[in-house]
Amino acid sequence: MKIIGENIHIISKAVNDAVKERNPKPIQELALAQAKAGADYIDVNVGPARKNPENVSWLVDVIQQVTELPLSIDTMNPGAMENGLKLCKKRPLLNSASGRTDSKVNMLPLAVKYKCDVVISVLVDTGCPPDVEGRSESIMNTVALANEQGIPNEDIWVDPIILPVSGDQVQVGLCLEFVKILQDLLPGVKGTVGLSNVSNGTPEHLRPILNRTYMVMLEKCGMYSAIADPLDQELMAINRGERPHIVKIIHRVMDGEDVDLNSLTPEERDYAKTAKVLKGDILYSHAWLEV
Amino acid sequence: MEYKAPVETYTGKVAEVVIGKGSKAVKVGGESVLPLHTFEGTIPNPPKIALQTLDAAPPASWTQWVLEPYGDAVKDPVAWAKKAVEYGADLVAITLDSTDPAGANAPADAAAVVVKKVNDAVSVPLIVYGTGDEKKDVEVLVKVAEVCSGEVLLLGPVLKENYEPIAQAALAHGHNLIAQTPLDINLLKELNIKLAKFFPPNRIVIDPLSSPLGYGMEYSFSLMERTKQTGVIFKDAMTQMPIIANLALETCKTKEAKADKKQGILWELMAAVSLLLAGANIIVVQYPDTLKALKGLMAGKV
Ligand code: SF4
Repeated sequence: MKIIGENIHIISKAVNDAVKERNPKPIQELALAQAKAGADYIDVNVGPARKNPENVSWLVDVIQQVTELPLSIDTMNPGAMENGLKLCKKRPLLNSASGRTDSKVNMLPLAVKYKCDVVISVLVDTGCPPDVEGRSESIMNTVALANEQGIPNEDIWVDPIILPVSGDQVQVGLCLEFVKILQDLLPGVKGTVGLSNVSNGTPEHLRPILNRTYMVMLEKCGMYSAIADPLDQELMAINRGERPHIVKIIHRVMDGEDVDLNSLTPEERDYAKTAKVLKGDILYSHAWLEV
Repeated sequence: MEYKAPVETYTGKVAEVVIGKGSKAVKVGGESVLPLHTFEGTIPNPPKIALQTLDAAPPASWTQWVLEPYGDAVKDPVAWAKKAVEYGADLVAITLDSTDPAGANAPADAAAVVVKKVNDAVSVPLIVYGTGDEKKDVEVLVKVAEVCSGEVLLLGPVLKENYEPIAQAALAHGHNLIAQTPLDINLLKELNIKLAKFFPPNRIVIDPLSSPLGYGMEYSFSLMERTKQTGVIFKDAMTQMPIIANLALETCKTKEAKADKKQGILWELMAAVSLLLAGANIIVVQYPDTLKALKGLMAGKV
């Protein structure tokens, strides 16, 4: 899977302070660390950026001073998005457009104007469609519109919108089903996910194993990339294929095999339990590894 | 060909919890069918109905028509509990209102003595509810557990924040626990997992918080349904504990119920019937006639 490094995010205090003080050092350190860790893209997340849409310009400039990696400009504000896209040296990723009316009007045209890849999520004006049919219907409409404006499937990264397992476990399984049929729906499209959303609300020390396991499951279903934490070395090792025994056990659970937990190593046992929860076989609780 | 309705057979079983010592013992749970699905299997222990009493005279803010059937008995916790038994309560649910830090803030040992006296005076088992104050309940419920050692009470609520000391005392003195979580099935399961590490799962009753119509009934209903289905259909041992719906704290105190007795009675009854359908194994109500109506409704059917 392609990994889009998520660590430069306006919500994090270090990033927010650096942006306010126009101090490039912490930003550049984060960019270099993510590049060194093997990220394929650097996400530049300034969120709604209503107040100061020019922040993203400073961020893009500062980051491009230290890395050649392509950037993913991550904001809901079209003005900020344009500020970011026009400074990108490498072909950027517009993150994101969606099936929302305002997004179709304001965001999609920017992808045409700057001829860049674009993330299109399944969101519609009423929110996130609750099932596979709803997600399919939404993405088919928006991608058709994008194709009409000259954006080919190959430049489109579909985001099925990941929801936290601790809040809406059913959606975690439905997302996998949707990803499985994505190529049939829209041949040639790429895809991405906000991977860490799956562990939102889960105690901090238990988040990584949820993110790693779900990454493996999404990849098996055909997912192309993930916005994730490249500083999680275990996640990157798994992504590089250096943990085949972990991937194997997750796949066995996904294929419905009734895995005998006692036959596994403690590490494999944790990944098997986590895969069962993410697949929806077992009801989630924060203590899912303790049973 | 004569139509024959499909019969589902589930392999998950609700745990059976025994409340009360010796001849007083009452069993709840133990069924392996969905709520009231007597057409799919047996329900060994039909749902039990408890009446709420207090450990002291009720405060002025209490809904008055609820107290009428008890007359002066409400001034004495023992008399009040006895009257509840006369009205047909399967269990008496005594709430230790006097220990409320925001109210009389009575000390733990005073409340424990009252509970002991009431327990010894009535022929049905006791459910003992603290006020839900995280810190004070630890003192109160641990003391009650000690003073009533061996009486097999149903004690609670224990919360994620304070379960350890109360569960240890309940373990040592042979009581059951009410594990309470705020209308969240994932937190509900987590608390049960943490308790089950050292406390017998067949002495835990789930209190997922119950709300009447207009105050979140949909949440209580769907949560209880999911909890029961996860246990009976998907065999998740951590949601197979019997469920208690404590409507006594929620229904008759509402302004609608206070304003109009008839509406209040229907309010409590409707809430109780709905949560019976959702899977409650014990329902705690305030008004004796609600209990009578519920029993009449279930008579011969369960
Ligand atoms: S279905 Fe539920 S939310 Fe919708 S109107 Fe009825 S009670 Fe309200």
